[in-house]
Amino acid sequence: MRLREVERGDGIVNRLLIRFLSMALGMRLPDAARVAFYHKDFFGRPMGAWTQAAMRGPSTWSVGERELMATMVAKWNSCSFCVGAHGAIAAKVLERQSVDATLEHFRTAPISNGLKATLEFLEKMTLRPTQLTADDAREVLGTGVSFEALTDAISVAAVFNIVTRYADALDFVIPTPDEFDGAAGMLLKRGYA
Amino acid sequence: MTAPNRPNHSDLAEALRRAVLEGPGVTDAILRRAVAETAAGEPTAKSPYDDLARQIGEAAYRVKDEQVETVLKAAGSEKAAFEIIAASAVGAGLFRWRQAVKATEEASDAPA
Repeated sequence: MRLREVERGDGIVNRLLIRFLSMALGMRLPDAARVAFYHKDFFGRPMGAWTQAAMRGPSTWSVGERELMATMVAKWNSCSFCVGAHGAIAAKVLERQSVDATLEHFRTAPISNGLKATLEFLEKMTLRPTQLTADDAREVLGTGVSFEALTDAISVAAVFNIVTRYADALDFVIPTPDEFDGAAGMLLKRGYA
Repeated sequence: MTAPNRPNHSDLAEALRRAVLEGPGVTDAILRRAVAETAAGEPTAKSPYDDLARQIGEAAYRVKDEQVETVLKAAGSEKAAFEIIAASAVGAGLFRWRQAVKATEEASDAPA
């Protein structure tokens, strides 16, 4: 269910900001951004800090690879908004064909073996977290993915196991493909903080 | 290969946990921790909050308007309902974070 306060913003400054950004973007400001502005000290600030670090902070994973991980977590959680939003960002820095092939079947997609093994781990983390064991981590580390890189990937998946849940509980409006594309350009340029 | 100046994800996860599950809000932090635990698979929250928290943890894409409406009425404001939804989502996400970090540390004997 949509919450009116999230939609319009809490306080006059946020309401004006939402209007201004919608005009600047030439589209309705996506709900993900509205949540980021809402009740900011309670949620938006700490959530934005971790999201920015996971998605744009220093890591051996590229921005495209991390956006692809986010897209896959969204797929496993059946979150249409996040599949559209983060698939569009991934497609701007990776090949669209590669993103689509990964969404279709990541085990046969044209991506590195390390990324495939990492996605295998993240899928279990998302769907069957109580079954994760050290052996699952060893499988990933055995492909040459470092401990630090696996931890970075886990942080992406943790963040998007949060985002997908509030996106669906708050019934985010699904933008058109063109709107996703426009918002993707903004998120590549400005990040999440 | 390790990227220089990597973020400390454990600190960032802890900052989020503290803000949402312990920090000031319009709802009681005890209620927020209860819905977080319920969303992580430990049914701690009581009616009428338990149903939405469990649903967000298990399959948020199946959340129905009536489930949010029920919490909105009980909690008394949209800000309070937002806090319950955020706490549930954070509970489910941080549970997965802990499980994955534990598996990784056991595989490598190094702290994340």
